[in-house]
Amino acid sequence: MDLVDQLAQHAFCADMAPQVRERLAACAREERFEPGAFLLRQNAPAMTFYLILEGQVEIKIAGTAVGHAPLETLGKDDAVGWSWFLPPHRWHFDAVARAPTRVLAFDADCLRQAMQADSAVGYAITRGLLEVVVQRLQAARMQLSDLYGQP
Amino acid sequence: MDSLEQQRDCPPAEGLVPTPWRIVSRREEVADGSVFTWSIRPEVGEAASYRPGQFNMLYAFGVGEVPISISGDGAEPGTLMHTLRAVGRVTRAMQDLKEGDAIGVRGPFGTAWPMDTAYGRDLVLVAGGIGLAPLRPVVCHAMRNPGAFRRVFLLIGCRDPQSELFRDDVIAWSRRPHLQVEVTVDRGGPAWRGHVGVVTKRVQRADFDPSDAVAFLCGPEPMMRFAVLALQQRGVSDDRIFVSMERNMQCGVGTCGHCQWGRYILCRDGPVLRYDEVADIFDVREL
Repeated sequence: MDLVDQLAQHAFCADMAPQVRERLAACAREERFEPGAFLLRQNAPAMTFYLILEGQVEIKIAGTAVGHAPLETLGKDDAVGWSWFLPPHRWHFDAVARAPTRVLAFDADCLRQAMQADSAVGYAITRGLLEVVVQRLQAARMQLSDLYGQP
Repeated sequence: MDSLEQQRDCPPAEGLVPTPWRIVSRREEVADGSVFTWSIRPEVGEAASYRPGQFNMLYAFGVGEVPISISGDGAEPGTLMHTLRAVGRVTRAMQDLKEGDAIGVRGPFGTAWPMDTAYGRDLVLVAGGIGLAPLRPVVCHAMRNPGAFRRVFLLIGCRDPQSELFRDDVIAWSRRPHLQVEVTVDRGGPAWRGHVGVVTKRVQRADFDPSDAVAFLCGPEPMMRFAVLALQQRGVSDDRIFVSMERNMQCGVGTCGHCQWGRYILCRDGPVLRYDEVADIFDVREL
Protein backbone atom coordinates (compact mmCIF):
# COMPACT_ATOMS: atom_id res chain seq x y z
CA MET A 1 0.00 0.00 0.00
CA ASP A 2 1.47 3.38 -0.94
CA LEU A 3 1.50 6.46 1.25
CA VAL A 4 -1.55 8.03 -0.41
CA ASP A 5 -3.58 4.88 0.24
CA GLN A 6 -2.42 4.76 3.85
CA LEU A 7 -3.38 8.40 4.28
CA ALA A 8 -6.80 7.74 2.79
CA GLN A 9 -7.46 5.09 5.43
CA HIS A 10 -6.38 7.22 8.37
CA ALA A 11 -9.12 9.03 10.32
CA PHE A 12 -7.20 12.33 10.21
CA CYS A 13 -7.36 12.40 6.41
CA ALA A 14 -10.70 10.70 5.86
CA ASP A 15 -12.50 13.86 4.70
CA MET A 16 -9.60 15.34 2.73
CA ALA A 17 -9.69 15.75 -1.04
CA PRO A 18 -7.43 13.32 -2.99
CA GLN A 19 -5.18 16.15 -4.19
CA VAL A 20 -4.66 17.29 -0.58
CA ARG A 21 -3.71 13.76 0.44
CA GLU A 22 -1.27 13.58 -2.45
CA ARG A 23 0.36 16.82 -1.31
CA LEU A 24 0.59 15.45 2.25
CA ALA A 25 2.08 12.19 1.01
CA ALA A 26 4.92 14.17 -0.55
CA CYS A 27 5.97 15.20 2.98
CA ALA A 28 5.51 11.75 4.56
CA ARG A 29 7.53 8.64 5.25
CA GLU A 30 6.69 5.53 7.21
CA GLU A 31 8.52 4.97 10.51
CA ARG A 32 8.49 2.34 13.22
CA PHE A 33 9.14 2.76 16.93
CA GLU A 34 9.95 0.02 19.38
CA PRO A 35 8.48 0.13 22.91
CA GLY A 36 10.24 2.81 24.94
CA ALA A 37 11.34 4.83 21.92
CA PHE A 38 10.53 8.55 21.94
CA LEU A 39 8.49 10.07 19.12
CA LEU A 40 8.69 13.49 20.78
CA ARG A 41 10.85 14.83 23.56
CA GLN A 42 9.70 17.60 25.86
CA ASN A 43 11.33 20.95 24.85
CA ALA A 44 13.08 19.50 21.80
CA PRO A 45 12.51 21.18 18.41
CA ALA A 46 9.17 20.14 16.92
CA MET A 47 10.08 19.00 13.42
CA THR A 48 7.71 16.10 12.75
CA PHE A 49 4.01 15.40 12.74
CA TYR A 50 2.85 11.80 13.22
CA LEU A 51 -0.23 9.82 12.29
CA ILE A 52 -0.40 6.46 14.06
CA LEU A 53 -1.14 3.52 11.78
CA GLU A 54 -0.84 0.88 14.50
CA GLY A 55 0.55 0.52 18.00
CA GLN A 56 0.23 2.58 21.14
CA VAL A 57 1.85 5.83 22.22
CA GLU A 58 1.82 7.54 25.61
CA ILE A 59 1.77 11.33 25.98
CA LYS A 60 3.78 11.95 29.14
CA ILE A 61 5.10 14.77 31.21
CA ALA A 62 8.39 14.53 33.02
CA GLY A 63 9.21 15.95 36.43
CA THR A 64 5.86 15.57 38.16
CA ALA A 65 5.30 14.31 41.70
CA VAL A 66 4.11 10.96 40.35
CA GLY A 67 7.08 10.50 38.05
CA HIS A 68 6.99 10.19 34.28
CA ALA A 69 3.22 9.81 34.27
CA PRO A 70 1.11 9.18 31.18
CA LEU A 71 -1.47 11.90 30.50
CA GLU A 72 -3.13 10.09 27.62
CA THR A 73 -2.62 7.05 25.46
CA LEU A 74 -3.02 7.23 21.71
CA GLY A 75 -3.39 4.52 19.11
CA LYS A 76 -4.45 3.71 15.57
CA ASP A 77 -6.11 6.66 13.81
CA ASP A 78 -4.70 9.22 16.27
CA ALA A 79 -2.44 12.17 15.47
CA VAL A 80 0.61 12.99 17.57
CA GLY A 81 2.07 16.47 18.00
CA TRP A 82 0.89 19.89 16.90
CA SER A 83 3.68 22.10 18.28
CA TRP A 84 5.34 22.03 14.83
CA PHE A 85 2.43 24.15 13.61
CA LEU A 86 2.99 27.27 15.73
CA PRO A 87 6.09 29.02 17.08
CA PRO A 88 8.23 28.39 19.03
CA HIS A 89 8.09 24.93 17.40
CA ARG A 90 9.11 23.01 20.51
CA TRP A 91 7.38 19.97 22.02
CA HIS A 92 5.57 20.55 25.27
CA PHE A 93 5.35 16.88 26.25
CA ASP A 94 7.00 13.55 25.62
CA ALA A 95 5.45 10.94 23.36
CA VAL A 96 6.78 7.43 23.94
CA ALA A 97 5.89 4.21 22.13
CA ARG A 98 4.40 1.70 24.55
CA ALA A 99 3.99 -1.06 21.98
CA PRO A 100 5.60 -1.64 18.58
CA THR A 101 4.25 1.35 16.70
CA ARG A 102 4.02 2.17 13.03
CA VAL A 103 3.41 5.76 11.95
CA LEU A 104 3.36 8.12 9.05
CA ALA A 105 5.91 10.82 9.89
CA PHE A 106 5.58 14.20 8.16
CA ASP A 107 8.41 16.69 7.80
CA ALA A 108 7.15 19.88 9.48
CA ASP A 109 8.98 22.29 7.13
CA CYS A 110 7.51 20.51 4.14
CA LEU A 111 4.01 20.60 5.66
CA ARG A 112 4.18 24.30 6.52
CA GLN A 113 5.39 25.15 3.01
CA ALA A 114 2.58 23.11 1.49
CA MET A 115 0.03 24.82 3.71
CA GLN A 116 1.29 28.29 2.75
CA ALA A 117 1.49 27.48 -0.94
CA ASP A 118 -1.99 25.97 -1.24
CA SER A 119 -4.85 27.28 0.86
CA ALA A 120 -6.84 24.05 0.34
CA VAL A 121 -4.00 22.09 1.93
CA GLY A 122 -3.65 24.71 4.66
CA TYR A 123 -7.35 24.61 5.46
CA ALA A 124 -7.55 20.81 5.46
CA ILE A 125 -4.63 20.37 7.83
CA THR A 126 -5.69 23.24 10.09
CA ARG A 127 -9.20 21.82 10.30
CA GLY A 128 -7.86 18.35 11.08
CA LEU A 129 -5.55 19.71 13.77
CA LEU A 130 -8.34 21.78 15.26
CA GLU A 131 -10.51 18.67 15.55
CA VAL A 132 -7.70 16.91 17.35
CA VAL A 133 -7.11 19.86 19.67
CA VAL A 134 -10.83 20.17 20.47
CA GLN A 135 -11.10 16.46 21.25
CA ARG A 136 -8.02 16.57 23.48
CA LEU A 137 -9.26 19.72 25.23
CA GLN A 138 -12.67 18.16 25.89
CA ALA A 139 -11.01 14.99 27.13
CA ALA A 140 -8.66 16.94 29.40
CA ARG A 141 -11.59 18.86 30.87
CA MET A 142 -13.47 15.64 31.53
CA GLN A 143 -10.40 14.09 33.12
CA LEU A 144 -9.93 17.19 35.30
CA SER A 145 -13.57 17.24 36.37
CA ASP A 146 -13.13 13.98 38.29
CA LEU A 147 -16.38 12.51 36.96
CA TYR A 148 -16.05 9.31 38.93
CA GLY A 149 -15.04 10.90 42.23
CA GLN A 150 -17.18 11.20 45.32
CA PRO A 151 -20.37 13.18 44.56
CA MET B 1 -64.18 9.43 61.16
CA ASP B 2 -62.55 6.00 61.30
CA SER B 3 -60.96 4.98 64.56
CA LEU B 4 -57.19 4.60 64.66
CA GLU B 5 -57.70 0.83 64.67
CA GLN B 6 -59.81 1.06 61.51
CA GLN B 7 -57.26 3.31 59.84
CA ARG B 8 -54.47 0.88 60.72
CA ASP B 9 -56.39 -1.95 59.05
CA CYS B 10 -55.53 -0.44 55.69
CA PRO B 11 -52.77 -2.63 54.22
CA PRO B 12 -49.61 -0.90 53.00
CA ALA B 13 -49.22 -0.46 49.28
CA GLU B 14 -47.57 -3.38 47.53
CA GLY B 15 -43.81 -3.16 47.44
CA LEU B 16 -43.49 -0.69 50.29
CA VAL B 17 -42.69 -3.10 53.12
CA PRO B 18 -39.10 -4.33 53.27
CA THR B 19 -38.46 -7.99 53.92
CA PRO B 20 -35.52 -9.16 56.02
CA TRP B 21 -32.43 -10.48 54.21
CA ARG B 22 -28.97 -11.51 55.42
CA ILE B 23 -25.59 -10.57 54.07
CA VAL B 24 -24.07 -13.87 52.95
CA SER B 25 -20.75 -12.48 51.82
CA ARG B 26 -19.01 -9.15 51.52
CA ARG B 27 -16.16 -8.27 49.19
CA GLU B 28 -14.22 -5.04 49.00
CA GLU B 29 -13.91 -3.78 45.44
CA VAL B 30 -11.34 -1.06 46.16
CA ALA B 31 -8.52 -0.95 48.69
CA ASP B 32 -10.08 1.62 51.02
CA GLY B 33 -13.29 -0.39 51.26
CA SER B 34 -15.46 2.48 50.03
CA VAL B 35 -16.89 0.29 47.27
CA PHE B 36 -18.04 -3.16 48.30
CA THR B 37 -20.20 -5.96 47.00
CA TRP B 38 -22.72 -7.92 49.01
CA SER B 39 -24.28 -11.24 48.26
CA ILE B 40 -27.57 -11.32 50.14
CA ARG B 41 -30.21 -13.99 50.80
CA PRO B 42 -33.80 -13.64 52.03
CA GLU B 43 -34.53 -14.81 55.56
CA VAL B 44 -37.71 -16.43 54.32
CA GLY B 45 -38.60 -17.72 50.89
CA GLU B 46 -36.78 -17.25 47.61
CA ALA B 47 -35.09 -14.25 46.08
CA ALA B 48 -37.40 -12.63 43.57
CA SER B 49 -36.38 -12.94 39.95
CA TYR B 50 -35.02 -9.80 38.34
CA ARG B 51 -33.86 -8.52 35.00
CA PRO B 52 -30.49 -6.88 34.32
CA GLY B 53 -30.67 -3.16 35.01
CA GLN B 54 -33.27 -3.30 37.76
CA PHE B 55 -32.63 -2.14 41.31
CA ASN B 56 -33.65 -2.91 44.88
CA MET B 57 -34.26 -0.58 47.79
CA LEU B 58 -31.84 -1.68 50.49
CA TYR B 59 -32.63 -0.70 54.07
CA ALA B 60 -30.09 -0.26 56.84
CA PHE B 61 -32.37 -0.74 59.81
CA GLY B 62 -32.89 2.46 61.72
CA VAL B 63 -30.85 4.51 59.27
CA GLY B 64 -32.57 4.56 55.92
CA GLU B 65 -33.02 3.15 52.43
CA VAL B 66 -31.03 3.53 49.23
CA PRO B 67 -31.69 2.37 45.66
CA ILE B 68 -28.96 -0.04 44.56
CA SER B 69 -28.73 -1.80 41.21
CA ILE B 70 -28.48 -5.55 41.09
CA SER B 71 -24.98 -6.45 39.95
CA GLY B 72 -25.10 -10.25 40.09
CA ASP B 73 -24.99 -12.71 37.25
CA GLY B 74 -28.26 -14.41 38.14
CA ALA B 75 -26.54 -17.78 38.22
CA GLU B 76 -26.42 -18.07 42.01
CA PRO B 77 -29.85 -19.33 43.02
CA GLY B 78 -31.35 -17.78 46.11
CA THR B 79 -28.97 -14.87 46.39
CA LEU B 80 -28.68 -11.41 44.90
CA MET B 81 -25.58 -9.30 44.47
CA HIS B 82 -25.35 -5.56 45.02
CA THR B 83 -22.35 -3.27 44.70
CA LEU B 84 -22.43 -0.17 46.87
CA ARG B 85 -20.31 2.92 47.22
CA ALA B 86 -20.18 4.55 50.64
CA VAL B 87 -21.05 8.15 49.91
CA GLY B 88 -23.86 9.15 52.25
CA ARG B 89 -25.27 8.42 55.69
CA VAL B 90 -27.05 5.21 54.69
CA THR B 91 -24.33 3.67 52.56
CA ARG B 92 -21.71 4.56 55.18
CA ALA B 93 -23.79 2.70 57.75
CA MET B 94 -23.98 -0.20 55.30
CA GLN B 95 -20.21 -0.13 54.94
CA ASP B 96 -20.00 -1.14 58.61
CA LEU B 97 -22.29 -4.17 58.24
CA LYS B 98 -20.71 -7.60 58.32
CA GLU B 99 -21.50 -11.03 56.94
CA GLY B 100 -24.52 -12.41 58.76
CA ASP B 101 -26.00 -8.97 59.49
CA ALA B 102 -29.58 -8.30 58.49
CA ILE B 103 -30.88 -5.68 56.08
CA GLY B 104 -34.28 -4.90 54.61
CA VAL B 105 -34.96 -5.31 50.91
CA ARG B 106 -37.75 -4.09 48.64
CA GLY B 107 -37.86 -4.78 44.96
CA PRO B 108 -36.82 -5.43 42.31
CA PHE B 109 -38.00 -2.20 40.72
CA GLY B 110 -37.68 -0.34 37.48
CA THR B 111 -37.04 -1.05 33.85
CA ALA B 112 -34.36 -3.40 32.56
CA TRP B 113 -31.77 -3.33 29.79
CA PRO B 114 -33.62 -4.42 26.61
CA MET B 115 -31.55 -7.52 25.94
CA ASP B 116 -33.77 -8.74 23.13
CA THR B 117 -33.13 -5.53 21.18
CA ALA B 118 -29.44 -6.38 21.14
CA TYR B 119 -29.64 -10.09 20.32
CA GLY B 120 -27.81 -10.88 17.11
CA ARG B 121 -26.23 -7.43 16.95
CA ASP B 122 -23.08 -5.76 18.20
CA LEU B 123 -23.65 -4.75 21.80
CA VAL B 124 -21.68 -1.76 23.05
CA LEU B 125 -21.59 -1.35 26.83
CA VAL B 126 -20.20 1.95 28.09
CA ALA B 127 -19.64 2.00 31.84
CA GLY B 128 -18.25 4.81 33.95
CA GLY B 129 -17.15 4.29 37.54
CA ILE B 130 -19.70 2.39 39.57
CA GLY B 131 -21.91 2.43 36.48
CA LEU B 132 -20.30 -0.89 35.67
CA ALA B 133 -22.37 -2.52 38.42
CA PRO B 134 -25.77 -2.31 36.66
CA LEU B 135 -24.12 -3.52 33.44
CA ARG B 136 -22.40 -6.49 35.08
CA PRO B 137 -25.51 -8.73 34.75
CA VAL B 138 -25.51 -7.97 31.01
CA VAL B 139 -21.88 -8.99 30.67
CA CYS B 140 -22.53 -12.14 32.71
CA HIS B 141 -25.43 -12.95 30.42
CA ALA B 142 -23.16 -12.49 27.41
CA MET B 143 -20.56 -14.75 29.02
CA ARG B 144 -23.11 -17.52 29.56
CA ASN B 145 -24.65 -17.07 26.10
CA PRO B 146 -21.78 -16.42 23.70
CA GLY B 147 -23.99 -16.70 20.64
CA ALA B 148 -26.65 -14.29 21.83
CA PHE B 149 -24.91 -11.19 20.54
CA ARG B 150 -22.74 -10.89 17.46
CA ARG B 151 -19.96 -9.20 19.43
CA VAL B 152 -19.84 -7.44 22.77
CA PHE B 153 -17.73 -4.34 23.41
CA LEU B 154 -17.31 -3.46 27.05
CA LEU B 155 -15.80 0.03 27.37
CA ILE B 156 -15.00 0.92 30.96
CA GLY B 157 -13.89 4.28 32.29
CA CYS B 158 -12.69 4.88 35.81
CA ARG B 159 -10.79 7.44 37.79
CA ASP B 160 -7.51 5.57 38.26
CA PRO B 161 -6.21 2.01 38.34
CA GLN B 162 -7.01 1.72 42.06
CA SER B 163 -10.70 2.37 41.47
CA GLU B 164 -11.20 -0.26 38.79
CA LEU B 165 -14.17 -2.43 39.82
CA PHE B 166 -14.62 -6.20 39.44
CA ARG B 167 -10.96 -6.50 38.48
CA ASP B 168 -10.89 -10.32 38.44
CA ASP B 169 -14.08 -10.40 36.39
CA VAL B 170 -12.69 -7.88 33.91
CA ILE B 171 -9.58 -10.01 33.42
CA ALA B 172 -11.71 -13.11 32.86
CA TRP B 173 -14.05 -11.27 30.50
CA SER B 174 -11.17 -9.90 28.43
CA ARG B 175 -10.03 -13.47 27.72
CA ARG B 176 -13.28 -14.33 25.95
CA PRO B 177 -13.00 -14.02 22.16
CA HIS B 178 -16.47 -12.59 21.58
CA LEU B 179 -16.00 -9.96 24.26
CA GLN B 180 -13.73 -6.98 23.61
CA VAL B 181 -12.90 -5.24 26.86
CA GLU B 182 -11.21 -1.83 27.00
CA VAL B 183 -10.45 -0.16 30.31
CA THR B 184 -9.37 3.46 30.38
CA VAL B 185 -8.46 5.58 33.39
CA ASP B 186 -8.46 9.34 33.81
CA ARG B 187 -5.16 9.22 35.68
CA GLY B 188 -2.72 6.41 35.16
CA GLY B 189 0.35 5.94 37.27
CA PRO B 190 3.73 4.89 35.87
CA ALA B 191 2.82 1.21 36.40
CA TRP B 192 -0.51 1.34 34.53
CA ARG B 193 -0.34 -0.46 31.19
CA GLY B 194 -3.88 0.19 29.96
CA HIS B 195 -5.41 3.20 28.25
CA VAL B 196 -5.27 6.69 29.77
CA GLY B 197 -8.01 9.06 28.67
CA VAL B 198 -11.75 9.34 28.56
CA VAL B 199 -14.03 6.41 27.85
CA THR B 200 -15.68 8.26 24.97
CA LYS B 201 -12.42 7.90 23.05
CA ARG B 202 -12.87 4.15 23.24
CA VAL B 203 -16.36 4.61 21.75
CA GLN B 204 -14.78 6.46 18.83
CA ARG B 205 -12.23 3.71 18.26
CA ALA B 206 -14.06 0.46 19.03
CA ASP B 207 -14.53 -1.80 16.03
CA PHE B 208 -18.33 -2.25 16.20
CA ASP B 209 -20.69 -1.93 13.27
CA PRO B 210 -22.58 1.34 13.92
CA SER B 211 -25.34 0.41 11.49
CA ASP B 212 -26.22 -2.67 13.51
CA ALA B 213 -25.16 -1.92 17.07
CA VAL B 214 -27.07 -1.36 20.29
CA ALA B 215 -25.50 0.62 23.11
CA PHE B 216 -26.19 0.49 26.86
CA LEU B 217 -24.72 3.40 28.86
CA CYS B 218 -24.37 3.74 32.61
CA GLY B 219 -22.27 6.26 34.49
CA PRO B 220 -22.09 9.93 35.39
CA GLU B 221 -24.40 12.01 33.22
CA PRO B 222 -21.62 14.12 31.63
CA MET B 223 -19.90 10.89 30.61
CA MET B 224 -23.11 9.55 29.11
CA ARG B 225 -23.70 12.84 27.29
CA PHE B 226 -20.30 12.64 25.59
CA ALA B 227 -20.71 8.92 24.97
CA VAL B 228 -24.03 9.58 23.21
CA LEU B 229 -22.32 12.20 21.03
CA ALA B 230 -19.55 9.75 20.17
CA LEU B 231 -22.08 7.04 19.31
CA GLN B 232 -24.08 9.46 17.17
CA GLN B 233 -20.92 10.53 15.35
CA ARG B 234 -20.22 6.86 14.65
CA GLY B 235 -23.72 6.53 13.20
CA VAL B 236 -25.59 4.68 15.93
CA SER B 237 -29.21 5.82 15.83
CA ASP B 238 -30.81 7.32 18.93
CA ASP B 239 -33.39 4.55 19.20
CA ARG B 240 -30.61 2.00 19.72
CA ILE B 241 -28.94 3.91 22.55
CA PHE B 242 -30.13 3.20 26.09
CA VAL B 243 -29.15 5.14 29.19
CA SER B 244 -29.56 4.37 32.88
CA MET B 245 -30.69 7.47 34.75
CA GLU B 246 -30.54 8.08 38.45
CA ARG B 247 -32.38 10.51 40.67
CA ASN B 248 -33.49 10.53 44.29
CA MET B 249 -35.44 7.26 44.25
CA GLN B 250 -37.31 6.70 47.48
CA CYS B 251 -40.56 4.76 47.21
CA GLY B 252 -39.56 2.59 44.25
CA VAL B 253 -43.16 2.23 43.09
CA GLY B 254 -43.78 5.55 41.34
CA THR B 255 -45.82 7.06 44.15
CA CYS B 256 -43.78 9.63 46.05
CA GLY B 257 -42.42 11.59 43.08
CA HIS B 258 -38.96 12.21 44.54
CA CYS B 259 -37.30 10.78 41.45
CA GLN B 260 -39.32 12.78 38.96
CA TRP B 261 -37.28 13.70 35.88
CA GLY B 262 -39.40 15.80 33.58
CA ARG B 263 -42.30 13.62 32.48
CA TYR B 264 -40.73 10.48 33.95
CA ILE B 265 -40.83 8.94 37.40
CA LEU B 266 -37.52 7.16 37.23
CA CYS B 267 -38.10 4.42 39.78
CA ARG B 268 -41.05 3.26 37.67
CA ASP B 269 -40.33 4.50 34.11
CA GLY B 270 -36.56 4.08 34.47
CA PRO B 271 -33.81 3.71 35.32
CA VAL B 272 -33.22 2.33 31.80
CA LEU B 273 -34.62 4.62 29.11
CA ARG B 274 -34.28 4.77 25.35
CA TYR B 275 -32.29 7.82 24.36
CA ASP B 276 -34.58 9.09 21.59
CA GLU B 277 -37.40 9.24 24.12
CA VAL B 278 -35.41 11.41 26.53
CA ALA B 279 -33.14 13.37 24.19
CA ASP B 280 -35.12 16.59 24.71
CA ILE B 281 -34.58 16.53 28.49
CA PHE B 282 -31.27 14.69 28.66
CA ASP B 283 -29.07 17.72 29.27
CA VAL B 284 -31.58 20.07 30.87
CA ARG B 285 -29.97 20.99 34.14
CA GLU B 286 -33.15 22.47 35.63
CA LEU B 287 -34.79 19.03 35.75
